[in-house]
Amino acid sequence: MSSLEIRDVRKSYGAAHILKGINIGINSGDFLVLVGPSGCGKSTLLNMIAGLDTITSGELLIDGKVMNDVHPSQRDIAMVFQSYALYPNMSVEKNISFGLEMRKMPKAEIDKRVADVSQMLQIQPLLKRKPSQLSGGQRQRVAMGRALVREPKIFLFDEPLSNLDAKLRVDMRTEIKKLHQRLGSTIVYVTHDQIEAMTLATKIAIMKAGVLQQLGSPDEVYNAPANMFVASFMGSPSMNLIPSKLVMQDGKLTASVKLKSGQELFLPLAENAAYNAWQGKEVILGLRPEAITDPGSAEATSKLLHQADVLIDVVEPTGADIYARMELNGQDTVGRMRANCGAIAKQNAPVTFNMQQAVLFDPKTEERIS
Amino acid sequence: MNSTIVGTKQGVSPWRVVLYVTLIVFAIFYLLPLFVMLVTSFKTLDEIRLGNILAFPSEWTTEPWVKAWGNACVGLTCEGIKGYFWNSIKMVVPAVLLSTLMGALNGYVLTKWRFPGHKWVFGLMLFGCFIPFQIVLIPMSQVLGFFGLAGTTAGLIFVHVVYGLGFTTLFFRNYYEAFPTELVKAAMIDGASFLGIFWRILLPSSGPIIVVTIIWQFTNVWNDFLFGASFAAGEGAPMTVALNNLVNSSTGVKEYNVDMAAAMFAALPTLLVYIVAGRYFVRGLMAGSVKG
Ligand SMILES: Nc1ncnc2c1ncn2[C@@H]1O[C@H](COP(=O)(O)OP(=O)(O)OP(=O)(O)O)[C@@H](O)[C@H]1O
Ligand SMILES: [Mg+2]
Repeated sequence: MSSLEIRDVRKSYGAAHILKGINIGINSGDFLVLVGPSGCGKSTLLNMIAGLDTITSGELLIDGKVMNDVHPSQRDIAMVFQSYALYPNMSVEKNISFGLEMRKMPKAEIDKRVADVSQMLQIQPLLKRKPSQLSGGQRQRVAMGRALVREPKIFLFDEPLSNLDAKLRVDMRTEIKKLHQRLGSTIVYVTHDQIEAMTLATKIAIMKAGVLQQLGSPDEVYNAPANMFVASFMGSPSMNLIPSKLVMQDGKLTASVKLKSGQELFLPLAENAAYNAWQGKEVILGLRPEAITDPGSAEATSKLLHQADVLIDVVEPTGADIYARMELNGQDTVGRMRANCGAIAKQNAPVTFNMQQAVLFDPKTEERIS
Repeated sequence: MNSTIVGTKQGVSPWRVVLYVTLIVFAIFYLLPLFVMLVTSFKTLDEIRLGNILAFPSEWTTEPWVKAWGNACVGLTCEGIKGYFWNSIKMVVPAVLLSTLMGALNGYVLTKWRFPGHKWVFGLMLFGCFIPFQIVLIPMSQVLGFFGLAGTTAGLIFVHVVYGLGFTTLFFRNYYEAFPTELVKAAMIDGASFLGIFWRILLPSSGPIIVVTIIWQFTNVWNDFLFGASFAAGEGAPMTVALNNLVNSSTGVKEYNVDMAAAMFAALPTLLVYIVAGRYFVRGLMAGSVKG
């Protein structure tokens, strides 16, 4: 268990710059999730932490010690691979004990640790089997067991759940979370599933094309996204990004939004000195679907509620909620409402905008205005 | 497809009959020489002179086999082929094991420890597969002379290992190319060394390709005549060379039955290897073409 620091780390393959100066620091016990679209360099960064890939420039520190040129086996890390990478010729037991055996640990100690880990992961009945005789979920457990048994400083996970079916993925997600809470281990976890990122992380690093977009707690990343990319990447359905104009209304700064009917809404904005400079200018208004809802569901505590009748284009039931689609300033927008709120397609319905949750973006730089 | 369905449902289709008859005819055609060799080796010389080469022996005798093994004349000595048979074994076993092991190591490095220029190295090794035997004879004899290995079994082993390396490397490289690199990475993190990964992870998963390589190398090395005739003369000659000398030894009458028995001795080990390991051969050749 220990801290990890990544200082201006870069990776290039010839002229191709894959990572363009990444800075991340986490403390002992943190669960860092690296998230981003395919090809953004998550696995590359993880492999560099593991020592499986060379660092072109920058520094990597574990527990304050530079690790750039330290062999993977000497870094005191353990990794769980996307394909599990279980040794096909060895039994489950051998797979788990291999790393300890290589480190010349006494047999008795190995046996004890293997027993503890297999107990914790409930894989005792599988110990004598070969990996080919296991189901996907069981393989996943064994792969985790192989990492856990080492009791390393840092655990590295590269999309460990992406080969599982949806149900199992959710179960294993919970299990990993429980494990982290129980052991308090330091974990770096790669995924491109933003729900996994939100549920597991204590810190999320969102990457795009080799550049770190934002590093923060799930709450920060969700509610105060650094830019439009983060805003649209995190959350499902993603944040509505509506082109809008800031205008003064009754002495207050508001975001104006036109409905299909032609009616113009002036949505109140929270006090923020940074907004004043944008009066009369075009901005992008970011509103999460849950901030556009039926009056009954609207947060009673919020002071910045604005209600209006809006024409609903489409209603998409999901069971617990419905997603109501409407047009704001010509932009298709999703609101999340209670299933029994009575919204019907092609009819007007009362909609409450919770402007406490609204964020504004600069349309040119795509950065959040704050 | 269709014909199998028809065949199982409504008796035998004409197509099947034609197919099987053709296959059986070809099989007989290919097996005929073996048959002639076998029956001839069990006949007495008198019976052979009668000329009916396809007939079974009227009187079975193992005399020719005993003679071929123990006291037929090869060149000037008349001690049978047994000495040369062991020569071949002493040559083929180390040559096959060494070239297989080195091919596996090459394949491991060329796929999992790539270095700048690895494609060139592999390309050159591939090129080595296509160099005809005859071209290397003179340079090779110079090299063997330089190392003091000329005319020895060790020299012959060296030649066969060098010559086989191109093929064994090709086999193992292609097999390991499909072997998940993540396993190597996992083993690295687990603390296994370069050779540790090879011994503990890769080799134990290489069963089929090891069998293919061994069959291939065994057949080639055992059956080789040119290198044997060029680099190992007299007492140290391998089986193939001895067989040639036995057949060509012009002492008295030509003993066809003994010649045939000796030829059968020469063919037995390869036959055995194919029968024992044959089913792995096809499996190994297919491996890697489909991801498992
Ligand atoms: N050996 C290499 N040579 C050149 N480019 C490479 C090499 N390895 C990876 N890349 C490039 O680096 C980029 C990042 O790859 P990486 O595997 O880290 O992506 P990722 O974020 O893990 O994506 P995914 O979610 O699909 O796993 C990709 O654009 C890839 O093409
Ligand atoms: Mg990846």
